[in-house]
Amino acid sequence: MPVERETLRVDAVRKTFRGELGMAPKEVLHGVSFEAHRGEILGFLGPNGTGKTTTIKIILGLMRPDSGCVTIFGKNAGDRMALSRLGYLPENPYFFPHLTLREFLHYCGSLSGIDSDLLGNRCDEMMTLTGLSESADRRLKGFSKGMTQRAGLAQAILHDPDLLILDEPFSGLDPLGRKMVRDIMLDLKKKGKTIFFSSHILPDMEALCDRTVIIRDGMVVRSVSMDEVFRMAGSGTEVIARGCSEDIIEGITDYIDRVASRGRETFLHVKKQEFLRTVIKHLYNNGADVLKVVPDQLSLEEIFIREISGDPREPGMKADHMSAVLPGGKEAHDE
Amino acid sequence: MNKISSIAVNTFRESVREKLLYIVILYGGILLLSTFILSPLSVGAAGGKIITDVGLAGISLLGVLTAIMVGSTLVHKEIEKKAVFMVMTRPVSRHEYLIGKFSGMVMALGLLMLIMTAVMAVMIFIGRGVPGAPVFLASYLSLLEMMVMSSIVIFFSTFTTPILTSFFSICIFVAGNLSGDLRAFAQKFGGAFVGYFMEVFYYLLPNLKVFNLRNEAVHDLRFSGSDIVLATIYAAIYCGAILYFAFLVFRRRDFS
Ligand SMILES: Nc1ncnc2c1ncn2[C@@H]1O[C@H](COP(=O)(O)OP(=O)(O)O)[C@@H](O)[C@H]1O
Ligand SMILES: [Mg+2]
Repeated sequence: MPVERETLRVDAVRKTFRGELGMAPKEVLHGVSFEAHRGEILGFLGPNGTGKTTTIKIILGLMRPDSGCVTIFGKNAGDRMALSRLGYLPENPYFFPHLTLREFLHYCGSLSGIDSDLLGNRCDEMMTLTGLSESADRRLKGFSKGMTQRAGLAQAILHDPDLLILDEPFSGLDPLGRKMVRDIMLDLKKKGKTIFFSSHILPDMEALCDRTVIIRDGMVVRSVSMDEVFRMAGSGTEVIARGCSEDIIEGITDYIDRVASRGRETFLHVKKQEFLRTVIKHLYNNGADVLKVVPDQLSLEEIFIREISGDPREPGMKADHMSAVLPGGKEAHDE
Repeated sequence: MNKISSIAVNTFRESVREKLLYIVILYGGILLLSTFILSPLSVGAAGGKIITDVGLAGISLLGVLTAIMVGSTLVHKEIEKKAVFMVMTRPVSRHEYLIGKFSGMVMALGLLMLIMTAVMAVMIFIGRGVPGAPVFLASYLSLLEMMVMSSIVIFFSTFTTPILTSFFSICIFVAGNLSGDLRAFAQKFGGAFVGYFMEVFYYLLPNLKVFNLRNEAVHDLRFSGSDIVLATIYAAIYCGAILYFAFLVFRRRDFS
């Protein structure tokens, strides 16, 4: 039996919004394509207003694309079967203010077709998981933004969906809440669920994703796997050492491209990972202490910033972006 | 079916928790006030008639006004505030959503009218004795009228704003009460075109006159049972047709 590897496929989706009174129509998505594989956490990264939320709404069948198509578990967007296996957390969620949290979850659960015998327990579990047990019988009207976000997550995972679509799941949360969401996401991944989430916050992406799709001005400009990012990150490393005299550094200048010192500590930036061994050995042999070895960080940020600066619709660049989707695109892009 | 009833129950809850209670209180207040003011003038049977008259008119009018008030915001607010995403991203069809909304609204307004009828019956009992069947039947027909108006309100709110929905619905309510008269008037005085136009209008608009049994109830007149059965069938068909049109609009709608 063929394994159902592809969970979500978005294929050349275009969307134009009708202009408001007198305004010209605006094409927001210019042919967005990507896919999510079973069991992965896929990030959807892009600046504000680039069409992330619009893409997500089309995936869910809340909007129709002008052209292109979306398949979820091989079904069309908006199909009942597809929807029953899908959990969704909207951006800035707003729920029924007149309901208590418990009533709200019951309502959602019954719409998802959860057995009424199981529903009560399931709701309790979700409230515990999201840390909202104490607010179970409070009306949603009085919920803070962070609490609403938690309630949103609870309803999204209530029916144990195979595909989770989260639009800006970390917005409005305190650090504890962020950690909770991250833990839940990683736990679901362990259970083989697929998660697709949008964000414009890089550390979240780096910490969680297997892969990231970068979108800009309604076009996917790049898709990078974290392995790839990690490999690129490995190209340089920072060594923090103590007791490092000028003389010691003198012996390894060939391997180092930057040196800085703060207090008694010296920060040595090693050009390539291959040199690390030599540098550390040299430091030890000459009586310096190595305190920390830190791989280059924020490489996704570097990629992101490079991808979003410059006009993707410039003819030359566009072809480049297409090739950049493949691994090794970094070099292709650097010239 | 299960999903429709979930949506209906939620809608019922929303309506009841938000505003409906005040309408009942308003109704009780008006009824009490009017009897206090009017009863010294006309004691006995006449007093009872006034209560019946004011009471039934109040039930009909408040039923329809509440339908317009609650209904015009019901669907629109849910779409505007994106709460509808919670329903539409689950395995629920759009027709189930509309039928659920309609049913919940009718449940809430039905409860409202039931309470108002009970209040009225008690007052009639105090005023002139046990209220007759026409009183309850008149109230039942008002319920049907309210259902027809609810379906119209839901139809408009699938594509326009609460203010326009209210406006159109009130226009239809007024025209629906007058359509028979207007048609007769056009047949008598209008040219061929006006006559034809009115004819189309007459069949398109709900004929709300068929839901009016107030005169019979007040004066204890005879009425035909088949009229009531026909009014029931008419209401069912009319609601069904309007909800179907609402579905045709709603099915194509983008939620943004
Ligand atoms: N309903 C709408 N009508 C008109 N324009 C819209 C609508 N929804 C979104 N847009 C526009 O589409 C663009 C993309 O929006 P969105 O998908 O929300 O971006 P993101 O989620 O990436 O921040 C924005 O420029 C926004 O103004
Ligand atoms: Mg967004």
